[in-house]
Amino acid sequence: MKVKGFLKDVGGASRVSKARLAAFENASPVPVKDDPIGNVAREWHPGKLDLVVTDVRPASKTATTVRFERQDGKKLPPFYAGQFMVVDFPIGESLISRPYSNSSAPDQARLDEHAIVEIPLRRSKGDGFICDYVNDNVKAGDKYRGMIGCGQFYYEPLRDAKHVVALAGGVGITPFASMAREIAHGTLDMDLTILFGSVSSDDIALKDELDRLHSDKLRIVHVLSGDEPDWAGERGFLTAELIKKYSADDTTYFICGPQVMYTFLRGELAKLNPPQRRVRFEVFGQAKDITAFEGYPQEVRDQTFQLTVVRGVHEDVIPAKATESLVVALERAGIRIETGCRSGECGFCRTKVLSGNVYICPEGDGRRAADKDFGYVHACAAYPVSDVKIKIPIE
Amino acid sequence: MKFYKDHYDVIVIGGALAGLSAALMLADKGKDVLVLERHNLPGGIATSFVRGGIEIEAALHEMMSIGDKDRRLKVGKFFDDMGVDVDWIKVPEAYHAAIPGLEVTLHPGLETFAREVDAAVPGTYDKVLAVLNLCNTVFDSVNELSIHPMSKPQMLMKHEAFVKTAGYSTQEVLDTFGLPQKALDLLSPYWIYVGTGFKELPFTIFSVLMADYIGYGSFIPRKFSHEMSLKMAERAEALGVQIEYRQHVDKILVKDGKAYGVRTARGDEVYADYVISSAYPNKVYTSMIEPASAVPADAVKMVNGRRLSLTAFSVILILDKSAEELGIKDYSVFHGDTMDTNKCYEELKGLGPYHYITCICHNLANPDATPPGTCSYSITTLPRVDGWKTVSADDYDRVKHEVAKQLIDYMSEYLGVNLLDHVLECVIETPMTVAHYTGMWNGCIYGYAHTMEDHIVARLQTAEAEHFIGHLEFSGAHQISGDGMGPAVTNGRKAAKNVLDTMAKEAK
Repeated sequence: MKVKGFLKDVGGASRVSKARLAAFENASPVPVKDDPIGNVAREWHPGKLDLVVTDVRPASKTATTVRFERQDGKKLPPFYAGQFMVVDFPIGESLISRPYSNSSAPDQARLDEHAIVEIPLRRSKGDGFICDYVNDNVKAGDKYRGMIGCGQFYYEPLRDAKHVVALAGGVGITPFASMAREIAHGTLDMDLTILFGSVSSDDIALKDELDRLHSDKLRIVHVLSGDEPDWAGERGFLTAELIKKYSADDTTYFICGPQVMYTFLRGELAKLNPPQRRVRFEVFGQAKDITAFEGYPQEVRDQTFQLTVVRGVHEDVIPAKATESLVVALERAGIRIETGCRSGECGFCRTKVLSGNVYICPEGDGRRAADKDFGYVHACAAYPVSDVKIKIPIE
Repeated sequence: MKFYKDHYDVIVIGGALAGLSAALMLADKGKDVLVLERHNLPGGIATSFVRGGIEIEAALHEMMSIGDKDRRLKVGKFFDDMGVDVDWIKVPEAYHAAIPGLEVTLHPGLETFAREVDAAVPGTYDKVLAVLNLCNTVFDSVNELSIHPMSKPQMLMKHEAFVKTAGYSTQEVLDTFGLPQKALDLLSPYWIYVGTGFKELPFTIFSVLMADYIGYGSFIPRKFSHEMSLKMAERAEALGVQIEYRQHVDKILVKDGKAYGVRTARGDEVYADYVISSAYPNKVYTSMIEPASAVPADAVKMVNGRRLSLTAFSVILILDKSAEELGIKDYSVFHGDTMDTNKCYEELKGLGPYHYITCICHNLANPDATPPGTCSYSITTLPRVDGWKTVSADDYDRVKHEVAKQLIDYMSEYLGVNLLDHVLECVIETPMTVAHYTGMWNGCIYGYAHTMEDHIVARLQTAEAEHFIGHLEFSGAHQISGDGMGPAVTNGRKAAKNVLDTMAKEAK
């Protein structure tokens, strides 16, 4: 065979080797550490940051807004309005993480000086331990570690309708507060109507701060379920009828609030029958009562099992209650595990079950198919129903 | 608390396909191996994620070098030999080429492919088949020579076509066949999987690409590439490999010219006789070797003398209609306003608009990929790192959305359907996404560009001289076989083989 001529053809291999060596010979000997694409990735997702609380103020009668800055005074990472941050709280022997939606706008995190993020915290009715701890103890000057920019609950212009109706209950207003602020700042192009369900007019989270932001792109409609004769606004629950009143022909619904509200709103939205792609629920949160879910083995509900925890070549054995997730057992024992949504979806706490059985919360099971085949669970949504052995990453 | 053994035979940095292949091969030979992976699952970009309850493939278009069960190619055989039992689905077609004036679906099999090109461009059967046969001959030689090296005169006798085409670019060789432009266009689409225009692309690489894909077809794992990655990891663990996730390696420790361990971001120092790095040589030689003085100037010149190849930008849509309802007919479609690979390669230097696009609809190879009545549709272009290096953190979201919108609009126009009316989920993957999850240098998934100045034949000839630090091997797209999930496996095996060879030599 011939390409160009015998000698040229057979000399090809030496020719390309010489060319390669020549390219190296002529190259600069100065190391180039420059990885600008990696730098942008790190600026958006720097992992856990050292934060300091710089302000604590009331958000309502029963809620508090906590403001964080970076300890080193630098900018915070960019995030999307609606996303949550994860904060680590060292409490006694335990290290407990919690996700909190940010109420501040993304642009506030990018200020050259005093870049901030804020989260409102409500004194609890359910998950009391941590909420009450935080409400009672968090004060300016406290130092915590936190990760910003988590979760998928944000407006995506390539997916969502321009007109968004947000259905918020209680502290579920938080992600919409961030969106509202960003709309007011002019950096989020959407039309947002927030239907905000509260019990009484004197306990509406972030009311004054949000009511100031009204514009032709942003409406906040307060809906009171309590009995207040003088209230001139909307009353009752967020019913299909009320939702329809504020909907456009093409509307995306964003829903964030307590778990009971999710159940109710699923029913109300079903009456309006919007396309599936137009309905977006924020993650469910940790199940308030795992024994209430279908298929939970009631016979073990009062038991405490042995949880063997493998990290590298190290093993610990700790107690684990049948009604508490593996993550809670680990945190109680002071064993660190990375968590995100604490709803079973995000997979930050992906864990291998080496032996034993767990019950998986069916709400928001975000596992990959192959992971299910090989016994991987999301530990925040997995509950021991026998003695269990797991392997988790070394933190 | 002690999380590691006192000592390992080998530490592998990176638990993606290359690192896991190395670990599997070493463990199979009884070596004690530790794999340190920065993310919380294996596979690097060979992974999947779940959005709105739907599992979505992150990156894999089609695996090469697998082959049907009765005629496995090297990667398929390696998985079989290692006991990595992936549920492979064969992709029905090679690809559909969508170029102005040309809409042709081509299927694997050299004769089939040539016949289908001939149907679209009559009178080209013999010439197209001749090209494919030449590719196949070169491919066979490459496979044999990678196992049985031989002297140059011997090579010329037994592997004439390989030797005589080695010094030429794809364009130089293809020019000798006198094919009409349209037939050339139909032979061109796969170029993007190796990432350099034909005037620079070694014909050797083009040959391997065409012979492998067109000759044997391509495959995907039923449960996305995560199935493949996880099965590799699980098998490695069953063979005794310790895999630790969420461990960033900051430093490779070197003494007397040899690597002897690593330090993680947590501060753990772990020791081993050998280190295999999936991190780019650029990163290793500029910031990971401790002490930095152990890096010879030639190592820096080598990385500076190479050109980074392509990175990736994908918009992955889960659509609320089936592929059939949307008029999507083929698993894999290559779109271009031209198939002039040199022009396409130029365009990829920028930030768009991009016109060379590859679309994958998973449901057309795997009907159960998404729930009934929906489909998964990914729109991908593979830009060079140059343009994306100029994007700042504050501009990133705007640029990302502009490019994504352009790609969606481009495909909407082609399909005659406004895709934006059907988006159930929309995920945009950028070079920064790659960098975030894998740590790959500048998000570059393709390693170094295949060019006539960085030719695979030259890489093979000079590989020995490029061991700048003893007991340190590299595995990943930046190694000899280059980019792609199939070559990643080969690169990992090569690193393991080098370790085993050195062990044997030093034991004597």
